[in-house]
Amino acid sequence: MTDLTGRHLVRGVDHAAFPTFDPAGTVTFYRDVLGLPVVHSICAAGWGPEDHPDFIHFFFDIGNGDRIAFFYYFGLERPERLDRGDSFAQFGSDVPEYFVRSRHLALHVDSEEALLEYRRRLDASSWPVEMQLQHETIESIYTHDPNGYFFEITRALRPVTPQEDLDANLTIDALVDIVSRPGHTLDDLLARKAELIVERAGAWQEQQDAVRQNITQPSGVHA
Amino acid sequence: MTGVWFLDVPENRPIVDVVAQDPTVRVTRVGPYFGVESDGAIVIDRRSTGVRHAVWYSCVAGLSVSRITQWDKDALRVEAR
Repeated sequence: MTDLTGRHLVRGVDHAAFPTFDPAGTVTFYRDVLGLPVVHSICAAGWGPEDHPDFIHFFFDIGNGDRIAFFYYFGLERPERLDRGDSFAQFGSDVPEYFVRSRHLALHVDSEEALLEYRRRLDASSWPVEMQLQHETIESIYTHDPNGYFFEITRALRPVTPQEDLDANLTIDALVDIVSRPGHTLDDLLARKAELIVERAGAWQEQQDAVRQNITQPSGVHA
Repeated sequence: MTGVWFLDVPENRPIVDVVAQDPTVRVTRVGPYFGVESDGAIVIDRRSTGVRHAVWYSCVAGLSVSRITQWDKDALRVEAR
């Protein structure tokens, strides 16, 4: 039997699920505007507890066999909406916009042409693109879906380099190291990260170089 | 001594190229990072680098016994702590 201990075994998103009070708009947005096929649905008469409403759980294919899913509950009234938010969470005006937008789903495309095709589809719909932005290494378009969920489609401007994986790990190790300090700031993180760079970046490079040398100069394979 | 680190990725190269022209700084290398050192303050003019907003505001990888005293649309300024 294969030993799975310590192995990275998961394979992407099976499904990410969200409630909807507007199933017709949701189907229009995901199936008809974006062209994501409906791939699964469950019609359920309650579920377990007596107070659980009947519901439809329906799924759209978002590529690679991954799926976005929605729950529509019959008879469930939409919560009273505060100033901002979506069908799952509402926020008052005291909550900053960056926080409201922080939780979102981003779908991936492989090319600028594909990104612009989705932009064209959205712009011709009731949910036009609100922003198109080039970040550090990705370019994204954004809108809100019929449920108010902040929705992104993104493409890589270039492949991720190995040193960015190292950098990400040093950042996260630095963050974990400083986050228990009262009043910690980005300044604390950058100071701790500089220590980790000095400790670990040289050895990482030597390891990368050794791997590269083994690939370009295989020994003992050919006479 | 002032020290600031930048990861060697294509987006950061214009920033390192600009600061390397400053005769008061020394650019070293540890693995995939550029270490920029100076006996005084290190100042980088944003417009000279030509990098976009998102790159500019995420370019610093580390600070060695130094602190950032300016990081805005005009410049990045790092001084000894």
